[in-house]
Amino acid sequence: MGTRTDGEIVRAVLAGDTEQYAELVRRYRDRYARFAARMLGSADEAEDVVQEAFIRAFEQLQQCRDPDNFAGWFFLILRNRCLAERRRVVRAGPGVDAVTVPATERADGPLEQDERRRALQQALLELTPEQREVFVLKHVEDLSYEEIAGRLGASVPSLKMRMHRAYDRLRERLKEIL
Amino acid sequence: MTTVFHPLVKRFLDGELRLADLPPELHAEARAAERLLGAVDRTAVTLPAALEARVMAEVRRRATVSTTPRWWHGLIASREIRVRYRLWTLGPALAAAAALVLLLTPSRSPVGAATPVAATAPESVFVRFVLFAPGAHRVSVAGTFNQWDATAAPLALTGAAGVWTATVALPIGQHQYAFLVDGRRWVNDPAAPTVDDGFGRRNSVVAVGAGARAL
Repeated sequence: MGTRTDGEIVRAVLAGDTEQYAELVRRYRDRYARFAARMLGSADEAEDVVQEAFIRAFEQLQQCRDPDNFAGWFFLILRNRCLAERRRVVRAGPGVDAVTVPATERADGPLEQDERRRALQQALLELTPEQREVFVLKHVEDLSYEEIAGRLGASVPSLKMRMHRAYDRLRERLKEIL
Repeated sequence: MTTVFHPLVKRFLDGELRLADLPPELHAEARAAERLLGAVDRTAVTLPAALEARVMAEVRRRATVSTTPRWWHGLIASREIRVRYRLWTLGPALAAAAALVLLLTPSRSPVGAATPVAATAPESVFVRFVLFAPGAHRVSVAGTFNQWDATAAPLALTGAAGVWTATVALPIGQHQYAFLVDGRRWVNDPAAPTVDDGFGRRNSVVAVGAGARAL
């Protein structure tokens, strides 16, 4: 049997075959985990948010207008969850931010490179969520501005403006080590 | 020392320019920009497999709890006929649309839009979808009633120029929908209320039932 499309699975779930949803979870569990981890600065928080996003997507599945684009629709849910979680953390006040994204397989890099990486991740958390989002999508997920615009429903010029402000803030924040 | 990047260096960061494209006086700044991008952590993040089990446990629980909304229980037995029909113009480029709702009863023939579909679904309601879309080559209506399958309910071009219609038997209840024009452009029904889908878009809503009033 060939691989079922996302659209076929979504329609099966909507028709009552709830168990099919597990396949969507398997397909997209890790694909967007990195985005969530970089947005939140924590793999543990990313796990919680991805889990919440899948549950919310299931509850809202009837509103998925284009089942064949489940991935894009799910991404928006996850992105909104990340932004909400980030705002919640910021409201909770200083001291709760801890960059815990594991720096796995980095032992071979020079020490200063590791320090720079940690400093950048911390600096990313100090950007606005909208600036961080476009930075992560472009430079971590390696999407073009056009692809990001398609995902977020934003214009390319507005994304570039956000990004360029982010560059300046990062440079200011990291001026000692760049 | 300034701590903002030169506009050309920002374009370099964006991947639009190469180092060689920059004037020599910006090379040092461009190297700082390279160090910035070099610090980006692109390591994949793998979530534990247990996440799937947790999600599915919650999904099963919610699927069990979820039932037909209470508010339209008991709306099925009416013999009234209520009609909703409006035609709107949205502009030169597009559309006007409306849904005509004809409540059916088990013993009554379909009114106005006799299609065999309703005979097998006595608790259904005929909804006539109308879209004014001059210049369109293909129109369909998709929604929660057909799992957003854009091929399930094509509209046919009627005699009137640019008016597309389809009559679809819908189960009693509330449904979200939208029109798909030429397979690529989603158009909401300007004659119907819309709801936020929670993710930046809006869907049209039609509520059908014996208690339904003109929407």
